[in-house]
Amino acid sequence: MAAAISIKGLTKKYLDVWNKTEITAVDNLNLEVEEGEVFGFLGRNGAGKTTTIKMLLGLIFPTEGEASVLGKPLGDIEAKAQVSYLPENPYFYDNMSGWDVLDFYGRLFRIGEPERSKRIQKVLEDVRLDPKAWKRPLRGYSKGMMQRIGIAQALINDPKLLFLDEPTSGLDPIAHAELRDIIVNVGKQGKTVFLSSHQLPDVEMVCSRVSIIHRGKLLAMGPISELTAGEKVEIQAEGIQNGVLEKLQSLTGAVEQSQGRIRIPATDADKVSDVIDIVRGAKGKIISVIPHKRTLEEVFVDTVLKAGGD
Amino acid sequence: MVTMAIAKQTLEDMLRRKILLILLIVALGMIALGPSVGFLSPRESSVVLRSMGLAVILIAGLLITILSGIQVIPTEVERRTIYTVLSKPVQRYEFVLGKFLGGIFTVFVMIAAMGIVFLGVLAWQERHFAPDMLKGVLLTFFQMMLLGAMAIFFSTFATPVVNFFLSFSLFIVGNMSAVTESLTSNKNPVTRILASIVHFLIPNFGNFNIQNKLIHPEVTISNETVFIVQNIVYAIIYSAVLLILAILVFDRREV
Repeated sequence: MAAAISIKGLTKKYLDVWNKTEITAVDNLNLEVEEGEVFGFLGRNGAGKTTTIKMLLGLIFPTEGEASVLGKPLGDIEAKAQVSYLPENPYFYDNMSGWDVLDFYGRLFRIGEPERSKRIQKVLEDVRLDPKAWKRPLRGYSKGMMQRIGIAQALINDPKLLFLDEPTSGLDPIAHAELRDIIVNVGKQGKTVFLSSHQLPDVEMVCSRVSIIHRGKLLAMGPISELTAGEKVEIQAEGIQNGVLEKLQSLTGAVEQSQGRIRIPATDADKVSDVIDIVRGAKGKIISVIPHKRTLEEVFVDTVLKAGGD
Repeated sequence: MVTMAIAKQTLEDMLRRKILLILLIVALGMIALGPSVGFLSPRESSVVLRSMGLAVILIAGLLITILSGIQVIPTEVERRTIYTVLSKPVQRYEFVLGKFLGGIFTVFVMIAAMGIVFLGVLAWQERHFAPDMLKGVLLTFFQMMLLGAMAIFFSTFATPVVNFFLSFSLFIVGNMSAVTESLTSNKNPVTRILASIVHFLIPNFGNFNIQNKLIHPEVTISNETVFIVQNIVYAIIYSAVLLILAILVFDRREV
């Protein structure tokens, strides 16, 4: 499958004129996003996520490295016609109505009438915005309604690739769930989604692959199933003589005992065969060996902390 | 299509700006009240009315042009609406042109409104229509178009506050073109060089002021039509150059 986004050695440095220092916002970033993939782009505040997205959209320029979007160089107008962007905390012209804003953005995509009106109607229905609000000025919209308009303007051109920057932040639980469902549906339509978010349960639910960046550097990337695959294993056994418990404890760290059974809640995967050997040697019986799957949040926190995040 | 869509959005946005509307209302009020000031000089009430009307249109036009010119691009950056616009298939030159045209349409609408009220008041007061005054209003508009292009150019790299003082002061200096021209033949070489740079680089705003001729019929301009056309062509060419420079700067600007 072709790459919707290809990034090679992308670097962005800013000069702090007052302190005469250079700040590296994105540092030698390499990644590829395949067509039709919903890709999660994770990182703490200030990690370089928005800077990367802005470079990919041609809003700011890389200091070093190269990248392509839908096979075209950054800022290419043909590529932009098939791309859309929902910025974090988007602001639209609040004197305009939801319909008028979408009409304006439709014109920027050079969509003529009557096609433009048809698409506006469709996307407003897709994002489930109350029809009574369609012709009302945006200044009277709630945060959730504004975010729906944000998604709608990102869908008006029926894009191949969507950049969504924190699309569900600050929403109430119902609006949050509805917008997450909309993103899931967008993914099901075969569109490529580049999703930057702090809502890790959402990312886990929506994305097939994620990357984690910290201080502009890529720390981890891969399918969620691989990143969250268990490094720890829970083992239960029975019929073990007391003398062996100390041996198991020194090998695995913690052993719980009750009603003739022992439970080792989390041992490293590479120690499993040693534990089994000890249990069998002591005439014990292994009841279960359960690999622990980590949550994406645990993976994210571990990865960032290991890289020196505080 | 894209440029005009941006221009239309800018016009609608600008026509809702309270500060611009207040300026327009005050200016319209002053023009409408013009006849009541005639008592200050009963013999020359017509002169007072014409002077005041043209002066109000010039000053209000100046403030409206500068305030809209310095705002149209920085407001987009400040409100971050520029992200959703420039991430679409919009060339940066289309954005700058759209913003310029939207600003100039705003100035046109407001000067036209003042001009219509001015001509109406004059016709009511003098019992006849004075089409000559249209020339003054027309040249004020082109003077403001040139000033607007200059403000847009500065707005691609300067903050609105710096832009305000820069545009305003250059407008004042540009209105003193007769003084800077006379200094180009000064004996002091430093004064001569500086005056030459200022005179040839800063737009010659003074040339658009034909209020004196319109107010005092005894003042004449040889071949008035050519003079007006020359000034309009000058405003268009100079504005085009400033817009090209604005596009070149904005093309390299990070948003």
